[in-house]
Amino acid sequence: MGILGLSKLIADAAPHAIKESEIKSYFGRKVAIDASMSLYQFLIAVRSEGQQLVSADGETTSHLMGTFYRTIRLIENGIKPVFVFDGKPPQLKSGELEKRAERREEAQKELDKATEAGDATLMDKFNRRLVKVEKKHANECKELLKLMGVPYVEAPCEAEAQCAALVRAGKVFASATEDMDALTFGTSVLLRHLTFSEARKMPIQEFHLDKVLEGLGMNQAEFIDLCILLGCDYCPSIRGVGPKRAIELLQKHKTIENLLEKLDKSKYQIPEDWGYQEARKLFLNPEVADPNTIELKWGEPDENGLVEYLCGDRNFSEERVRNGAKKLAKAKGGSTQGRLDGFFTVLSTTPAKRKAEDKKKNPAKKSKGNSSFKGKPK
Amino acid sequence: MFEARLHQSSFLLKILEAIKELLNEATFQCTQNGIQLQAMDTSHVSLISLFLSQGGFDNYKCDRNISLGINLSSMLKIMKCAGSDDILTIKNHEEPDSITFIFESQSYDKVSNYQLRLMNLEHEHLDIPETDYACVMKMPSSEFARIFKMLLQFGETVEISCSKEGVKFSTSGDLGSANIKLAPNNTTDSDKAVFIEIQEPVVATFAIRYLTLFAKATPLALRVQLSLMPDSPLLVEYQIGDKGHLKYYLAPKVDD
Repeated sequence: MGILGLSKLIADAAPHAIKESEIKSYFGRKVAIDASMSLYQFLIAVRSEGQQLVSADGETTSHLMGTFYRTIRLIENGIKPVFVFDGKPPQLKSGELEKRAERREEAQKELDKATEAGDATLMDKFNRRLVKVEKKHANECKELLKLMGVPYVEAPCEAEAQCAALVRAGKVFASATEDMDALTFGTSVLLRHLTFSEARKMPIQEFHLDKVLEGLGMNQAEFIDLCILLGCDYCPSIRGVGPKRAIELLQKHKTIENLLEKLDKSKYQIPEDWGYQEARKLFLNPEVADPNTIELKWGEPDENGLVEYLCGDRNFSEERVRNGAKKLAKAKGGSTQGRLDGFFTVLSTTPAKRKAEDKKKNPAKKSKGNSSFKGKPK
Repeated sequence: MFEARLHQSSFLLKILEAIKELLNEATFQCTQNGIQLQAMDTSHVSLISLFLSQGGFDNYKCDRNISLGINLSSMLKIMKCAGSDDILTIKNHEEPDSITFIFESQSYDKVSNYQLRLMNLEHEHLDIPETDYACVMKMPSSEFARIFKMLLQFGETVEISCSKEGVKFSTSGDLGSANIKLAPNNTTDSDKAVFIEIQEPVVATFAIRYLTLFAKATPLALRVQLSLMPDSPLLVEYQIGDKGHLKYYLAPKVDD
């Protein structure tokens, strides 16, 4: 689920850290995409009449549809995507995963009830809550990406952490995920909404870690502690300490250790055997593959291979798949457009002034993050 | 306070036409010396650097530096409301959040007044290093516009190769290919002459679409200057008489 309420907090405390832009602006950029997150999006969103798309023998194909067409859209816009798949979940996540399993069970119960009552809206709602990205989905997507000539990386552990490592090593420009904890793992740039459908007209949100830290007046270690206080996937947080309190406390005490000494224990209940130190360690030194050993190569699409893989049993239209393959080949062909950023350096940035009156004029810029999308349950 | 007056409002319209395809909104920085604008298009492939000297205006007053964030398509709408030889006065003082355009007809019998709300824009100032270009050529701006209009029908990417013999523009696409060669000439008509100064030969490729967008500046100047360096952005420069200049930079295409 990422970090609870982090995007809202950044929008309030460090508004300059967020930029909104069109997909066009990422022209020529290499971007690491959190594959589990995008697969989950596709399983939820790529539907026809509320049902997932299926092949002739009833197997889901929504994820393949999404991966195929949305990757083409990225590539057509000059973006070079690399997909990063999750490995095994970290030990610390077991608590969170249990909770998610419980919620899934509840949803199943609700779904049964709704089915009995014949309530279609509720059925649809709970059906979506039951969506889970399985190993099989990921493997099918890897197969597809290979045919498309798009590279992918298998992370030993969390995909967001691997994305962040790729960004830090300068292998890619940004991590694309909805999970805000990519920032906690230290990605310098985080993109949200990159793999959303074109029809939603959702601008891409770009978060810059350096500006987040500047706005909060913290360093990375303090920021990690802040995220732990807000609520992460790896340990519980202190009840009664909300985002406002968390910032105040950390700005004053700098570390969770100092803060625990000063905190009024009768007012706030510290979780038993609180594993915040392990969580911190995980954020600081996550298990990732060394980015320097990873070679990213974008190759030619295999048109016939794609047709064979997607058409037939999986019911994709051959004409559309061939068209897609041609688009990929065209985008790949020839030289790529360079960006001026590499030649000219930014001397100074004059940020837009944030006055009370421009709130009215420009409400889109003040978006508080998209709270309706909460990230992946596993 | 800021106030600038132009006897021919159409001059500003031409400037806008030359930048509006690349920029949706921009910050005009007004100082004692004149008006400056520097901005990249959204995809960060090209950069526009415009300078309008205060001497180019018929009246110019700016007692402190101000930044005017303007939506260019809104400004274009206003500029199109003017008659071609109307006298234009631009003002920003009583209300700091807006800018006023006043058009007076030459006979002073009609005055129209438009107000445009200013925007708060983030503005990045880029450092453009002084470059000693390997190849500099000057040609009539209409020739430049024609060449790329033609090439655009054949392909998306142009290869520009300069040598002592001249400069060659070539492209290819589904239709076939196109090659245009310009050799330096010794015509006495300085408006039509083609000059090429070469220190070393350069070959570079660029997106034709951007070059055709730069050519929208053709009505502003009779001559255009192109400067090239290997593996560097191309500079396309229009000197607007003694009124200022309009420079476009374009990032090259690179092979992976």
